[in-house]
Amino acid sequence: MSGGVRGPGGHHVGQVVFRAVITLLMVGVLNFLLFRVIPGDPAAMLLAGARSSVTTEQMQAQRQSWGLDKPLVPDQLVSYLSTTLQGDFGYSFKFRGKRVGELIIERLPETLALAGLAQIIAIIFGIFLGIYAGWRRGGVIDNLTTGTSLALYSTPPFWLGMLLVVGFSTMLGWLPGYGSYSPGAGDGSFLAGLIDRLRHLILPVLSVALGLIGQYVVVARAAMSDVVTEDYMVTARAKGLTNGQMLRRHAFRNALLPVVTLITLNLGYVVAGAITVEAVFAWPGIGSLTVEALNARDYPVLQGIFLLLGASIVFANLIADLIYGLLDPRVR
Amino acid sequence: MEDFYFSRRFVLKALLAGTATSFIASSHALAASASCSDKIVRVAGIAAPDTMNPFATWASFWPTTFTYDVLVGVDAQRHPDRQGFAKEWSVDDKELTWTFKIWPGMKWSDGKPATAKDVAFTYEYLKKSVGTADELNVGWNNTSGMEQVQSIEVVDETTLRIITNKPTRWPVDNTIMIVPEHIWSSVSQADARGTFRNDPPLVGTGPMIVAEFQQGQFARLTPNTHFRKGQPEIAGLIFRFFPSADSIAQGLKSGDLDYGMNLTAAQWTDLSKDEAIVVGQGRTEARNYLAFNTASGKGAGSTKALQDEAFRDAVGYAIDQKTIAERAFRGHADPGVGLVMPAATNYYSELKDIKRHFDLEEAARRLDAAGYKDADGDGIREDRDGNKFQLELITGTTSGTIETPLAAVQLVAGWLGQIGIPASVTQLDPGALDARTASPEQGGGSWDLLISGGWLTPSAPDLLVLGEADNTGNNSYWKSGEFEQLISEVKSTADIEKSKALVDKAVRLIYQDAPYIILAYPFMLDARRKDCFQGWGTADMFSMWSYFPFDRLKAI
Repeated sequence: MSGGVRGPGGHHVGQVVFRAVITLLMVGVLNFLLFRVIPGDPAAMLLAGARSSVTTEQMQAQRQSWGLDKPLVPDQLVSYLSTTLQGDFGYSFKFRGKRVGELIIERLPETLALAGLAQIIAIIFGIFLGIYAGWRRGGVIDNLTTGTSLALYSTPPFWLGMLLVVGFSTMLGWLPGYGSYSPGAGDGSFLAGLIDRLRHLILPVLSVALGLIGQYVVVARAAMSDVVTEDYMVTARAKGLTNGQMLRRHAFRNALLPVVTLITLNLGYVVAGAITVEAVFAWPGIGSLTVEALNARDYPVLQGIFLLLGASIVFANLIADLIYGLLDPRVR
Repeated sequence: MEDFYFSRRFVLKALLAGTATSFIASSHALAASASCSDKIVRVAGIAAPDTMNPFATWASFWPTTFTYDVLVGVDAQRHPDRQGFAKEWSVDDKELTWTFKIWPGMKWSDGKPATAKDVAFTYEYLKKSVGTADELNVGWNNTSGMEQVQSIEVVDETTLRIITNKPTRWPVDNTIMIVPEHIWSSVSQADARGTFRNDPPLVGTGPMIVAEFQQGQFARLTPNTHFRKGQPEIAGLIFRFFPSADSIAQGLKSGDLDYGMNLTAAQWTDLSKDEAIVVGQGRTEARNYLAFNTASGKGAGSTKALQDEAFRDAVGYAIDQKTIAERAFRGHADPGVGLVMPAATNYYSELKDIKRHFDLEEAARRLDAAGYKDADGDGIREDRDGNKFQLELITGTTSGTIETPLAAVQLVAGWLGQIGIPASVTQLDPGALDARTASPEQGGGSWDLLISGGWLTPSAPDLLVLGEADNTGNNSYWKSGEFEQLISEVKSTADIEKSKALVDKAVRLIYQDAPYIILAYPFMLDARRKDCFQGWGTADMFSMWSYFPFDRLKAI
C-alpha cells in the first residue's frame, strides 16, 4: 500500500489499480480452493435434516443437480472463473438456487448500517477523545480515556455484546437484544418503524463502536503526543499563536496522518468486521450469511462474500494511498 | 490556557447529551417490543428455514407445520385433539385398503374447499415424480414410502381411499404436508424440487398461516379464519429463528418471547428460578449413541477389534448410561438401552433380560477372554495383532437440534481409558462430521468410535434405521442379513402387535451384536412465560410432528 512504488500521479494510480486487479484475481482462485479444502459435502448438508433416511442414490442426485459431481479441476474451477469474470457469482445451494448477488445485496444494507454507523461513531468520538488526551497529556481525562480505551480495545466485541445484552436487554429490558427490527413494528407508521430500527441498532453498534473507539483513541493520542514535542510547535508558540490556533493549524493536521490510515484500513473491514457481533445479536447481515453459508458448505455464497470482502479491502487500500498523498505532499 | 475545541464544559455537555439521547431512545414509551396487549404469541427455536417450500427443503418444518396439515401423522394417533387433514381413518381386514374421512366442510385459508382431492393431488404429485430426473426426494414432503402405494382414490369430497401393495402403516404414519391443488397444480415438479420458494402468504388448513417470512429472522403467522375448529383466539404468532439458544433464553427473561425451545440444561435451570417463567421438558424420539466403525476393507478403523462382536459387547459394560443421563445431561435425558426410546411408546422395551450393567471389572474380564489383553502390563491393551489400542473418538456438537454435552463424550473416553483402551477425542463441526461418517464408498470412514445422535419419527422403520444396510443413517456400517429380513417384514406389516414383535426381535439382535451402545434419550427443554397466555398444556407442548393446537391457547 503506502510503501509501494510511486511515480507521477497517473502512473501511480495505474499501478495501484493493476495491483488491485491481480490481488482480486488471486483472491478469487484462493476462495474457490479454500472452501473446498474444508471437509464436508454440501449435498449431505442440504439433506442433513433427513440424513437417516436418505439413500446413496438420492445423495448422488443432489450432487448432480448442483454440478458437484464434476471434477473440481478443471471443470468446476473453469466454470466458476468464467462466470465470476462475467459478474455472475452463481447460485446458492442452501437458498435453493437464489442468485448469490441477490442474497448479498439483500444482506449488505444491514451490515453497512451496523458496521458503518459504528465506524462513524468511533471515528468522531475516538479522534476527539484521542486528540484531546494527547493534547492534555497526564491530565485526569487523559488517564481516564487512555485506561478505558486500552480496556475497550482489548475486549472482544462479541463478549462486549453479550455483556450489553445481559445488562440492557435482559436485566433492564430497555433495548432489544436480537434482530434488526421487531416483526410488525413498521405496520403502524414510518416513525414507529424507524424508532424500532434505531432501538435495535443501539446495542450491536455499541459493541462494535466501543472497541473501535479504543483503537482510535490509542492511535490518535500517540500521534498527538509525538506532534506536540515537534520543533515547529515550539516555533508556533514563539510566534505567539494561541493554543487553539496551534492545535488547528499545526498539531491536528499532522496528528491525523496515522489516524487516516487506520480509518481507511478499517473501512475495508466494515463488511467483514462485525461477523461475531452479528452472531451474538442474530443480526441478519453479511456476517450471519457467512456463518449460514459456511455451515451449509454453500461454496458459491462463500466465494461471493469473500470476493466482496477482498474487493472492499483492496479498495480501502487504494483510497488510503490516494488520501495519504493529499494529506502529506511528501508521499506524492 | 485557551480551550477552543475541548473545554471541560464542552466534554461534559457532549457526554450528558449522549446519555440523555440513549435514555430517551430506550424509554418504554417508545418501546415497540413485545407486550401482552397485542395477543400475538412470540415463539423461538433453533431453526434456519431457507424457503417455505416443503418439497425442496427439510428446514421449513418450522413454521410450515402450523400452516399445513398432515393426513393423520404421529400426533393424531397419540392425541385425540390433534387430528390433521383427516378426521377419522380405518383399514380393512387385509390391511391393504385404508379409508380416510376428511373433515366435512373444511376450507383452505383462502376460503376454497379443502377436500379429499387435495390429499390425492399431493400424494400423486410426489408419486408421479418417482423415477424421473426431478424426483421429489429432497424435502420434507418426499417420495419415501410411495413405492408401497398402489392407488389413491377419491371416493367423494370427504372420503379418500389408499390401497397399498402390501400391509404397511405408511398411510397413517407419513408426515407429508397436504398442499392445496389450486395453488400447486401450476408448479412443475422440477420447480418444486429446486427453485420454487413458495413465498408467503401461504394457503393451508392449519390453525396459523405463514404471512411473512424473513430468512434468518422470523416468520409471522396470522390466524386461519377458516380453521376447521374455529379461528384461534390469539391475534397471531411470530416464530423467531436463532442459531443458538442463548438469545432464546435472553428473550424469555426479558419478556420478548412467550415460548422458547431447544434450551440447554444450564439455561433451563437458570430460567426455572424466574417466577414469571414455567419450564418444561418433554421426551423426544432423539437418541444419542456410541457407534463402532465395523467396516472392513475401505474405510475401516485402526483395529480389527472394532469388527469383533465380543470386543464391542465388552466395551458396552464400561459405559454407565445412568451417569451420562444424570451428569452430562443433568437429568434431562433417559439412560440409553436399545434402539427404541421411551417416547416411542408402542415399541419401547427396557430389555431387562439382556441388558448390560455398568461394571468396569466385568468389561476387563470380557476383553481378556476375547483376547484383548495387556500383555506388557503398561495399562494399555493390545489387539489380536499385538498392536496397542489408541482409538480415535469423533463427535459433533449437536444431535438433531438438541446439544450433545461434551461431558458425555469425556465420560465415555474416561471409562475406555480405565479399561485400557485409550481414546482421543476429535470434535467436528456438522459438515466435517458428515463427511467423515459418510459411507466408505463416498469417502467416509477411517475413524474408530463415534458419538452422535439423531431424531426420526417413532414409526417402526425409522426406529430401525441405525442398523439398515446401505442407509446413510447407519453410522456403524454394520450389516446383518437377519436384521435386513426383519426390517423388510416390519415395512410390510400394518398390524401394530405384529410390528411390535418384529421390532423387539430386531432391537434385541442389534443390542447383542453391539455395533452401537445407546447412551441416552435426551429431552427437549422448553420454557414459557406465564404473563400473556394460558392453555399451553403440560406434556408435548410443542409436538415435533404436527401443528401445535393454537385453538386452545388463550390470552390472559
